[in-house]
Order: sequence, then structure tokens, then C-alpha cells
Amino acid sequence: MPKRRDIIAIVLIVLPWTLLISVWHQSNITSVLAAQKGNTISSRSDSRALKESLSLQNRDSVHVVRTEYVYIRPPPWSETLPTLHIITPTYSRPVQKAELTRLANTLLHVTNLHWIVVEDSQRRTALVSRFLQETGLNFTHLNVETPLNYKTRGESRNTRVPRGTLQRNLALRWLRETYPVNFSKPGVVYFADDDNTYSLQLFEEMRSTKKVSVWPVAFVGGLRYESPKINALGKVYGWKTVFDPHRPFAIDMAGFAVNLSLILTKPQAYFKLRGVKGGYQESSLLKELVTLSELEPKASNCTKVLVWHTRTEKPVLVNEGKKGFTDSTVEI
Amino acid sequence: MKSVFFSRFFILLPWVLIVIIMIDIDSKRAIRAPVPGRTGKAQRIPRGGSIGASGAQNQSSLPIIYAITPTYSRPVQKAELTRLAHAFRQVPRLHWIVVEDSTSRTDLVTRFLARCGVTYTHLHVFTPRRFKRTGMPRATEQRNAALAWLRQHRSRRDSGVVFFADDDNTYSLELFEEMRSTRGVSVWPVGFVGGRSYERPLVSGGKVVGWYTGWRPDRPFATDMAGFAVNLQVILSNPRALFKRRGSQPGMQESDFLKQITKVSELEPKANNCTRVLVWHTRTEKPHLANEPKLKKDTVDIEV
Repeated sequence: MPKRRDIIAIVLIVLPWTLLISVWHQSNITSVLAAQKGNTISSRSDSRALKESLSLQNRDSVHVVRTEYVYIRPPPWSETLPTLHIITPTYSRPVQKAELTRLANTLLHVTNLHWIVVEDSQRRTALVSRFLQETGLNFTHLNVETPLNYKTRGESRNTRVPRGTLQRNLALRWLRETYPVNFSKPGVVYFADDDNTYSLQLFEEMRSTKKVSVWPVAFVGGLRYESPKINALGKVYGWKTVFDPHRPFAIDMAGFAVNLSLILTKPQAYFKLRGVKGGYQESSLLKELVTLSELEPKASNCTKVLVWHTRTEKPVLVNEGKKGFTDSTVEI
Repeated sequence: MKSVFFSRFFILLPWVLIVIIMIDIDSKRAIRAPVPGRTGKAQRIPRGGSIGASGAQNQSSLPIIYAITPTYSRPVQKAELTRLAHAFRQVPRLHWIVVEDSTSRTDLVTRFLARCGVTYTHLHVFTPRRFKRTGMPRATEQRNAALAWLRQHRSRRDSGVVFFADDDNTYSLELFEEMRSTRGVSVWPVGFVGGRSYERPLVSGGKVVGWYTGWRPDRPFATDMAGFAVNLQVILSNPRALFKRRGSQPGMQESDFLKQITKVSELEPKANNCTRVLVWHTRTEKPHLANEPKLKKDTVDIEV
């Protein structure tokens, strides 16, 4: 009957057009998404690997967990998260490049990170400059040489300057010179030595620092870890350490982070250079910035260890001999 | 007549468009598969080691890198595994095989691996104390257990590269791209071994002709555990190639293993003809724990 044929004809016409339109709509959306991601992906190694997240648990307990991960180095900048300014003093020694490589491998996972590397040298070395550029991280490369009469060797204990002090102070000065006092974008400053180990969670914990936040650090003070003592109100009231727990701030350099605005609004706060007893360096800065009760405990009320004060052995280089055996142009 | 023709044409038009689009989508999917070496499924090797090239290729075709890491309990274990995981997380298509030196899977490593963000396999095998004297080869049983797992769970159809990643070494991300193109056994320089700044294979005409090392250069393969990688198929086609304990001399572990599976003339030099150091044999100091109380004094039990 003509009516049925008409109906069939109408269906035959309408169906493919609706299919076409829906497919075109979908492809438009995915291409827009891809374009957005494409704008923020850095030019290096932007291969994407999206895997379903499913976890299998076989009988012989072979755990194969697939995680959804996008290999972008570093992660795209976010407009809402506070910037982490990580200050790393470094100095030339055989393991320098290895240490910086490991640290960079960790930092490449952190969003909104600004790495301030300060060399203890007269000039910025080619090794570090080249290295920083290759990582693709957002960095600032500074240098200041610790004069020989400041350095740790051959000096009586109270006159020598702890390693890295001048470099950290230079970084603080750079921050104060670069950002205005009323800088609107939030930021957090953290001192990350190049031989420590940092978990990714640590960086997320410190992002919410309002003044100064603290957490436990492993392998310092001759203990498995040192940590602040937290009372029932969630406030710091002391320090769980064996080595001089009566220091104003008995904490390691890796155990605290400072809000950038606090650094900018207190421009006289620096690490004290001379006459600082061993272990009091951190206190020399922190007592200018904050009081004990204002400290913010992180890492689940200071019950988790998220940073380890590891130290790397000096490599055994006996076979180099006096004149050096290996080709000195090969960079290690 | 004309109207019938036109109506039929317009009815057919959208269907034709749909068919064309489907063909187009299918061909796009085919293009994304790697172009070089389209022969067969077993050996899909991406060209070169350049990082830029890998971005253009389809992810699922890259050979998987199997990183075998023996580990054992000590204070810095979690820290070492953490840094290692951070490096591995940046590498696409990496499968981490962690083998503990213990009688059972420890909670620390189990929990750590569950959150590490890398595809992993968690094994364990205990090395008896009598094999842990100084001078004896270490982690032999653990590496062999990982090789056994690979032989059991992978077949000739899988493409991959196997390398031994000790947990205290430092790896640059470039190293993984260099080793991915291994067809047989590849070698490269390693920093801080052999009592020198680095040890490396000597390369001439694209082939390894000798070894540049500070310790026993008479070894057949004077390289460190971190200085070579083996194609998965080579492991599978040499099912009896294992790390030896009996009759092995100190420092000969790598040579004893490699001579079972390859010859020096077949080695593939990487890292710019073995002139760049991309992996360092760093060692972490034992932390000073002199102030730890003998009996547990803390109110909480915190994992370090």
C-alpha cells in the first residue's frame, strides 16, 4: 500500500541522516577534546597511553594492575593550583647528574612546579644547564659560589657555613626580587636537597600550606624518622627527636614548607650564615617566619613518612688513578 | 520517472556517505599502526631510538620493557622503590617485575606496588642465609624467578625487552627508549662501576670489539647488570639460561649469563655507540640509626 511504502521511504531517508548527524557530532566533540589536550601537551614525548583500569588477582597472586596514565612530561599547568617553588642547592661531584636525574624523574610528575636550581659554583655549569633544558621542567637556574673560607672542610665548627646556605638564601632573594609583595598567585616554597627521596603525595600535601606546614622525615637525627609532636587539637607542641629536641624547630630542611606570601612579606628572613650550631639552621629561618603554634601538621597529623633523607655513597673511583683514566669529555 | 530516480538517489545518498565514513575510520586505524616492519606480529620494532618518533606511533605496538627488580627488606627499601617507580611511571609500556627476597610477600611492598602507578608483577623467593656472605653473587634466585615467570607467562607472539633494574641505581628516561629497539642483546655504558667513573663497551663499525673497564677486562662480557638488555624472544628461546650460583666467581654473574645466550659479536651498542652514560650504579648509604631505642617506644607504628 502506498502509505506503507511512504512510511518505509521516510524511515529509509531519516535513519541514515540521524546516524550521520550523531556520528559527526561525536567526532566533533572528540576532536575538540583532542585539540584542547594537544595545546597543553609539550612538544616532547606526548605519546598517550590510555589503558582500562581493571585489576586481576590470580590464584598465584600475580598482581597486574593497569592504571590509566597519560605520559606527558611534565603535567599540564593548572590555573587553580598553587605553584610549588622547589629550591635545590647542588654542587659538582661525580654523582651530581645522577642525583639531579632522579630528582627530575620525581618532579616530572608534579603539576605546577617551578624548580629553582642553585649551583655552588662561580658560573652556571654546562652540565646543569643542558640537563635542565632536557628535562622539560619549568626551571630557574641560579648560581653562587660558597667562598672557600666558608666551606665545611678545615674550619672550626662554629665559623663554617652549612652546605647549601648561601644557595638557599640566593633563591629566597630571587623570589623576593621576582615577585611583588602582594603577588596574587598562591605559591609554596620547599627546600629539596638533591639526594633525598620524595613521594608524590608529599607535594600534594604541601600545596595547601597557609603559613608553614611540617611533617615527619625519615633517616634524620639517627632515627628511623623524626616528627613533630601533635596534640589533641591538631597543633604542634614539641618535637619527637633524640638529637636536641629543645631546638625551637627541631626539624630537617626537608620537613617543612613555607607559603610564598610569608616569604615575600617578611623580606628579612634568611638562613643565618655564621655562628649556627649543627641542627639549628632550619630554626634560624623559621623563627623569623612563624611561631610554634602556627605550624600546620600534614601527612595525616604527622603519622606518615612521605620524605626520606637518603644519602648516596661516594662512588669508588680508585681505578681512575691520579691523572684520571676515563675520557673526561664523557659526561657522567 | 525522473522523480522516482531522484527520490531513490536521495535515499541512497546518506547510506553511501555512511559507508564511506566507515571505510575512512577503518583506514585511519590501520594507518596508526606502525609503518616500518609491518611483517608479522612477533617483531614490531619501532624505528630508531629517537623520542620524537615514538610519539607518532600507536602505543599498543611498542615492545613492552620488562624491568626485573630484586629487592629485600631494609630501612631504605621503600624510599628506593619510590624513586624507581617515579622513573618507571614516565615510561610507556613498561612492566615491572618485583621479586622480594623473602618467604612471603611483605605488606610494605604489596601496599606500595598497589599504588605505584606502574603495571607490575609481584613475586618472591627466599635466598638462604648461607648464600649471603660477602663476595657471593646476590639476587641470583630472585632474577631467576623473574625469568621463570616470563618463560611461563609469555609466548613467541609477545614482543618485549628484558632488563635488570636494581633498586638503588639511577636511570635516565632516555635509557628506556634506547633499549626498546633491542633485537638480540644490547649494551651501553654504566656510570660508577669497575672502580671508575664509568665502564663501557668499545665500539668499532657498529659492533662491540672490547671492553673499557677498570676491573678484570678479561671478562667475556665486562659489563654490569644495569648495562645490558635482552630481547624477550631470546630469553624464551634459551629456556635454560639462568644466573648461576655454583661455581661462579665474583663479578662474573653477568658474563656467565650472557655467554649462554649471545656472543660479543652479536651485541648491539646503544647510547650513541656507547659514548653516553644513561644509567648510574649509585649506592645509597646505610642511614644512621644509632638513636633508635632498643624497645619500641613510640605510640604509633609508622612505616618508613
